[in-house]
Amino acid sequence: MYGKGLRPLSIATVAMLALSLSLVFFYAPLDADQGFIQKIFYLHVPLAVVALIGFVVGGIFAIAHLRTQNSKWDAYSYVSIHMSVIFGVAVLISGSIWAKGSWGHWWVWDEPTLVSFLIVFLLYCTYYPFRYAIEDRDRQARYASVFAITAGAFVPLNFMAVRMAESLVHPRTFATAEGGLPAEMAWTVFACFVAMALLWVTLVKFELAAKSASGQVKRLRRAIDAPGPANSSRIAPEVS
Amino acid sequence: MFSLLLAATPALPLDEAGKYVAGAYVVFVVLLVVYVAIMASKLSRIEKELREVADYAESSGRPGMPGREAEDMPADSAQPPAGSDRNLTPSEAVGGPAAPLRGEDDV
Repeated sequence: MYGKGLRPLSIATVAMLALSLSLVFFYAPLDADQGFIQKIFYLHVPLAVVALIGFVVGGIFAIAHLRTQNSKWDAYSYVSIHMSVIFGVAVLISGSIWAKGSWGHWWVWDEPTLVSFLIVFLLYCTYYPFRYAIEDRDRQARYASVFAITAGAFVPLNFMAVRMAESLVHPRTFATAEGGLPAEMAWTVFACFVAMALLWVTLVKFELAAKSASGQVKRLRRAIDAPGPANSSRIAPEVS
Repeated sequence: MFSLLLAATPALPLDEAGKYVAGAYVVFVVLLVVYVAIMASKLSRIEKELREVADYAESSGRPGMPGREAEDMPADSAQPPAGSDRNLTPSEAVGGPAAPLRGEDDV
């Protein structure tokens, strides 16, 4: 079920990534202030936005899990958060590389946008030990959902707080005082956003398909292990 | 403040900025490749386990179940190998005891 539509989605993702990279390097003009190094932002900003939206989406799936008690939503929530953490790693590294090139430092602690993203990232890093510290699977899923909802609500609040406490140190590369970007840059940014969103969805589906297959095999093993005539009744179809 | 910072650090020339831009994009690609490699190894492990389960299902179905595999097999191939002093449990037959339900694979 999870693997359905994965092939066309993968093809669309690869095509969109190729298109967006072509636009970044062959279509979008050089930034007047920052020059060539600004090209990092076509990668960094969409990754960051998609990662943050992914955290919120994980919280929404967690709400669905608590409402329905269907373990499918717990798996969706887990994989969404997992993928966003991976995207978060890419955000932190690409941002640090830009900072080193532009500011001469890998990290600046007095810049709210950087530190707030790091706090969100570290918060979600605690999701794994928190989740796997709980033995009982039902409780594990329930508590992880509560965590995902709470942390998911924290993400937009954190984002708004940082915006309100604007320090003007972190560059607002895609929003100028005059009202925005040149059309070439705007189209390129849009293509990069679409490409990153597609990549996120594809990888989430890919991981869900792998987990589903792994779960089916384990269920089959347990069914084989179970003694007596109850064997066949334990081979149930995948819940999701 | 930011404009002051930019004024202090003007646009890098292409030969210097290029390595940072290349570094950022290479890191992204490497992360992607590492993730896909990990997922590929997981999938190959699942495939292996599935093959073991299928082998066990086929071998246990031979004596009584009229399946195509059972019909094709010679009757003596269902016997345990010489030297085996006890019957294997089903989980041992498919590759060892099933792992406890822990870890991300069970999500």
